[in-house]
Amino acid sequence: MTDLGHRVTPLVTPLLLAVCLMGCGGSGPRPQPGISAALQRSAESRRWPDLGDRWLVSIAGRNGRERVELVDLRNGQPVPLPGLNQADAQPVSVSVSADGNRIALVRRREGRTELTLYRRSVGTLQRLPLEPAGVPREVSLDGSGRLLAVQVSRQGHWDVDLVRLP
Amino acid sequence: MIVDQRGRPTVQLKDLRSGGPLPLRHLNRHQPHSSPSLSWNGRYLAVIIQRGNRRLVLIEDRLSGRAHPLRLPSGRNPVRLSLAPDGLQLAVQTADRGRWQVELLDLSGLLEADRPGGLRRTTPVEPMQ
Repeated sequence: MTDLGHRVTPLVTPLLLAVCLMGCGGSGPRPQPGISAALQRSAESRRWPDLGDRWLVSIAGRNGRERVELVDLRNGQPVPLPGLNQADAQPVSVSVSADGNRIALVRRREGRTELTLYRRSVGTLQRLPLEPAGVPREVSLDGSGRLLAVQVSRQGHWDVDLVRLP
Repeated sequence: MIVDQRGRPTVQLKDLRSGGPLPLRHLNRHQPHSSPSLSWNGRYLAVIIQRGNRRLVLIEDRLSGRAHPLRLPSGRNPVRLSLAPDGLQLAVQTADRGRWQVELLDLSGLLEADRPGGLRRTTPVEPMQ
């Protein structure tokens, strides 16, 4: 037994150390395999993640179509977004406020690219005009959902517009 | 935001009150930078950087001045990221066999929370005067 113990110890010690460094150490980033696997199972592809306090918004692809999806990270389940995803619209970029109530979306529809704001509490999608006109691309809401940064193409240049929202 | 600095895409943090740029201790190299993401009060700035032939995530803690370079446990290259408002979670878009995927990482063992308005949830023991 003692001999076996002596032979095994040099192998086991580095293994235990490696396992601890990967799994039980409190100081590094820890993967969240449960929720990550659920996200991968529920869509063929998923891009453009944006985190709220307990919300993840992203663009999920299924059967060749993409739609905006908001997942409650407490249970890994998507929540309904009535009126947000439309059959003739292609999402480009998306962002969520910390409380998950507001979702800013850039989408292509009928040959145009437009900036929109969805309020989940009332289920409304509002188009936000750009002044001066331009083509929006990337969007980012601050935690409060009251300040929006949007990257806009104007005459071959990229601008970043800040939009204060009521 | 990402700006072109002598031909190198470089992250820049601006103070919205003054409009001026804020100094970043660890993010003036390892370009190209991409996909910057801020916590509630701007304490943490996460960005994708290039080190050698690898893309990795770097989180700069502007309060402590520390940098936290992160390799993804999956070994994949980050494409796009989002830091949670409190800084305790990170969502990362990666490519896996030609498909976009999103991985979630728990950073609560690495960072302390950056709460809205700088709110502290813990009550540190302070000496009575």
